[in-house]
Amino acid sequence: MNEIVKLGLILFIITAVAAGVLSVSNAITADRIAELDKIMNDLAMQEVLGAAEEFRPVDEGKFNAFKSVNSKVIEINEGYDSASNLVGYTVKAVTKGFGGDIEFMLGVSIDGEITGIKILAHEETPGLGANAEKKYFTDSFKGKPVSVELVSSKSPQGENEVQAITSATVTTNGIVNGVNEVLKAYNATFSN
Amino acid sequence: MNLFTILISTIFINNYVFAQFLGICPFLGVSNKTETAAGMGVAVTFVVTLSSVITYVVHHYILANLGLEYLQTIVFILVIAALVQLVEMFLKKSSPGLYRALGVYLPLITTNCIVLGVAILNIDNNYNIIETIVNALGASIGFAIALLLMAGVRENFELADIPKPLQGFPISLITAGLMSIAFLGFSGLV
Amino acid sequence: MKLSKVFYNGLIKENTIFVQAIGLCGLLAVTTSAINGLAMGIAVIAVTVGSNLVVSLLRKIIPNKIRIPAFIVVIATFVTVVQMFMKAYTPDLDRALGIFIPLIVVNCMILGRAEAFASKNGIIPSIVDGLGMGLGYTLAAVMLGAIREIIGAGSIFGIQLFGINFEPALIFIMPPGAFIILGILMGLFNYFRRKKESEGIKEETLDEFIYNID
Repeated sequence: MNEIVKLGLILFIITAVAAGVLSVSNAITADRIAELDKIMNDLAMQEVLGAAEEFRPVDEGKFNAFKSVNSKVIEINEGYDSASNLVGYTVKAVTKGFGGDIEFMLGVSIDGEITGIKILAHEETPGLGANAEKKYFTDSFKGKPVSVELVSSKSPQGENEVQAITSATVTTNGIVNGVNEVLKAYNATFSN
Repeated sequence: MNLFTILISTIFINNYVFAQFLGICPFLGVSNKTETAAGMGVAVTFVVTLSSVITYVVHHYILANLGLEYLQTIVFILVIAALVQLVEMFLKKSSPGLYRALGVYLPLITTNCIVLGVAILNIDNNYNIIETIVNALGASIGFAIALLLMAGVRENFELADIPKPLQGFPISLITAGLMSIAFLGFSGLV
Repeated sequence: MKLSKVFYNGLIKENTIFVQAIGLCGLLAVTTSAINGLAMGIAVIAVTVGSNLVVSLLRKIIPNKIRIPAFIVVIATFVTVVQMFMKAYTPDLDRALGIFIPLIVVNCMILGRAEAFASKNGIIPSIVDGLGMGLGYTLAAVMLGAIREIIGAGSIFGIQLFGINFEPALIFIMPPGAFIILGILMGLFNYFRRKKESEGIKEETLDEFIYNID
């Protein structure tokens, strides 16, 4: 009996020391990890709404109104330029892709145009759906009006057409549908 | 996420061996006879499901409440190691036949990436307790299927004329690759 | 014990991937590109050297009966520290390697070295063994990642190699490619090892023959 207690005690001490080491390591890195998330988010917002310099979260009432139309929204921010004029909004939302959820950030100007889209996280197939990150796809969203429903096309011409990703129909449709749902909720909540 | 979708997804589309690369070590080591493969499959199913439930409880009710999520890896692996020890002791006393049949493979389950992998994925995917159990079952069944398929093929290797450098692991890996291509056919099912 | 022999053992003679075939889980999943393979390799080296060092330091203190759980605690600690620092300082690589960083804890190679070597040898040889084994793993990881990246994406370390008209064979970035390329690499490794060994045997028998003529 004594031996089991002794063994248990030694194992407990080793584990306790390990836990101690880990809590020190956590103290060193936790702040920076949380900071990184914010930095990446800010960078994404800047990328999709280039005209803005400062971002502030939209007020809760508007966010909830938006969410009641589109439950897949995560975050909405207002973008202000250097003269503190409202220039647009950034909406972070999620949609279903081929390999899992796709998280994206959409930028919309108050003139009613899409200013940019960035794919934040995805589980799509490398070489196929993962090409959603490429410029030739995301750039095709720029300048499209928020009032129309978007469709994808191999060679987009009209003002409602965006570029389809080669051999990745499900991914393309997932993102296009996700964007359309965001636009629907945006038009219902923000258009004045 | 719909329970049926999780089940089909883990067994076929995102098969834990052919698509997610978990459980490779025993997959290559144990799968040369269908009997041992079956026994391993059953043992893994039991350990994975039970450990998924326990680690779910530990994470959500202990670690999360104390803000100690960073201890996840170390706590989970200790829980799994302890669980396998308990299962081993239990089997030894209650079913010596089964214990002898599984023999060496039982302690090896501790270092099977699939056990820890499923436990971590349950938390990462924010599954509730029911989804956790379904995911664990699906993963183990998928693993067992992969193991049985591989054992069936490998039993035939002994009759085939394989070039010397490819004998053993190399040809098993290439075979796994071909099977993986077959499983790719399931994508888009749900 | 010659340190260079210990190192060579880990790197080539008992190479964890090509010879022993243990620790494969993470390898197949993350090697979709050369840089991912390299990152994984470095993480494995860090954990293996660290765990070998600590296990060797504590080898006279850890009672035999609880040595396996004790080794696991040590390895898990190093893995968690590596994971934290990767999340903080190399978030892209952390996202690329994903769940396979914490899974380094169940890499049979690391536990195997703690049990077979570090618990029975001094600190410096244990460090060297950790380095050798870790580098052996990294060698395999970078080779696998590079080949898959070149054939499957037409680039290496992110640098495009071929022109726009090159149609990459996507299958090699996907799971089947990992299995097949590793199988072929192992086969090649076996082939060259057998050649070397049979040449060695021929020399030995010739020496014996010469010495026995008199």
